[in-house]
Amino acid sequence: MGVDVAFKIENDLISEVCRFAKETPELGFDLLACLSCVDYVDHMELVYNLFSFAHKHKIAIKTSLPRDGEIDSVTPVWNAANWHEREIAELFGMTFRNHPDPRPILLPEDWDEGYPMRKDWEGKDFVKLPKK
Amino acid sequence: MSNYQKNEFPSDERDKRKAENLIDPLGKNPDTVVEKIDTEEFIVNMGPQHPSTHGVCRLLLKMDGEVIVDVVPYVGYLHRSMEKIAENRTYLQYIPLTDRIDYVSAMFCNHVFCMAVEKLAQIEVPERAEYIRVIMDELNRIASHLIWLATFALDLGAITPFLYCFREREKVLDLLEMVCGQRMTFNYMRFGGVSRDLPPEFIPKAKEFVQYFKPRVDEYEYILTENPIFLGRTKGVGILDKKTAIDYSVTGPNLRATGLKWDLRKEEPYSIYDKFEFDIPTGTNSDTWDRYMVRIQEMRQANRIVEQALESVPEGEIKTKTPTVFRPPKGEVYARIESTRGEMGFYIISDGTTIPYRVKLRTASFSNLAVLPEMSRGWKIADIVAIFASLDVIMPDVDR
Repeated sequence: MGVDVAFKIENDLISEVCRFAKETPELGFDLLACLSCVDYVDHMELVYNLFSFAHKHKIAIKTSLPRDGEIDSVTPVWNAANWHEREIAELFGMTFRNHPDPRPILLPEDWDEGYPMRKDWEGKDFVKLPKK
Repeated sequence: MSNYQKNEFPSDERDKRKAENLIDPLGKNPDTVVEKIDTEEFIVNMGPQHPSTHGVCRLLLKMDGEVIVDVVPYVGYLHRSMEKIAENRTYLQYIPLTDRIDYVSAMFCNHVFCMAVEKLAQIEVPERAEYIRVIMDELNRIASHLIWLATFALDLGAITPFLYCFREREKVLDLLEMVCGQRMTFNYMRFGGVSRDLPPEFIPKAKEFVQYFKPRVDEYEYILTENPIFLGRTKGVGILDKKTAIDYSVTGPNLRATGLKWDLRKEEPYSIYDKFEFDIPTGTNSDTWDRYMVRIQEMRQANRIVEQALESVPEGEIKTKTPTVFRPPKGEVYARIESTRGEMGFYIISDGTTIPYRVKLRTASFSNLAVLPEMSRGWKIADIVAIFASLDVIMPDVDR
């Protein structure tokens, strides 16, 4: 399975760090395997799972930002980020700066019930299971 | 459009000339004026219920005559928010839901979710269970590729392969039903193993199927591979080069068709794939025909793995015991496997309770569909059917 390495960076550096990770020949992270967002109620965390076909190594880059925060889009670095960022912006309610196509993607066009993936979201028929 | 031509005459002038019979649209009479025809881009809405979109996907095609200028895919018609549901279910309750992510190859969704949780809670899987998992996975891969081949050929107008493929798929589903009790949404794997043992009649039946299936692949090839109509529709159509494919995170057979020899079963052997001999088929021209050929070869390789695994299924336990109230330790994990459509990953964050804190699904079709506009620009409207079908996108896998 290999060792999973992750490191945290400041959110204003994300675009530079990602470009560095992709373009430095020794790193060569050419595949953005997964881009996830986690809501920790007081802040959001973005996780970029990267992989390199040339060196066969992987890494996770993490960055945290305020709930309604803004962050640079990494779509100019990997086009794969385009749809992932659209999804995150729609479901978690954050903004990606310089995104080439910031339309919603998954929810209905007339959706107006907020950001459903947030932990404190309340829907009409949504009942929360108690934690044990 | 650059060669946009305006009418030379204002409309009233044109009507007057028309009345005097001075306009000759075909330009045959040298004394008359040839009328310039207005051309402009127009939009065609393909889907959401179009048969060749294989589910509910809407493609907005910007057309210049018959040539595609741009494609905008609209997805989300099947969005069920699988990730939100996961935050409201216990780990065990979520296994049947993973079947619904990609219902054509549900066994992989089961497998990767169990694998991620096993990695998180450090559960060992008995060897017999691993063998059963591999057999089930590869049988499911055959079934999934068969349904792809059937609909792909049908989209191109060939009906015979559809009947042939469904004939064999029926036999695979019978085998899966014998073990899991279900034909499509299996709910078969559990944390630390599988839910029930192979019935005694399974192994002879499966061995029979393996021998039966070998010549069947040649049969499909006999109909399609050298067929001039099929070649005309697929050879050189919808080229996806290696660089674009990686840039868009395209994985699976679509990536292998670009010539990159990349398969998680070989490169990052999970389960017990390192015990089997199989080849990774790759393409050379990265066109639609190559994507077809890679999947045809993969069916043969999957059959080969099943054959080897059936020979050496060990005796023993099928499941490690896990507590009834299952609480994995705090932590996070990203596990991925090579599903039929490419890399399928689960990113799970546990907070030590019975309910996962966050589950993120990385599905192959989501990334594979995003590359469609890059591939289809400049091709005719009939080609987009072939290109879309060759990507093997399954819509619930995209929308989740």
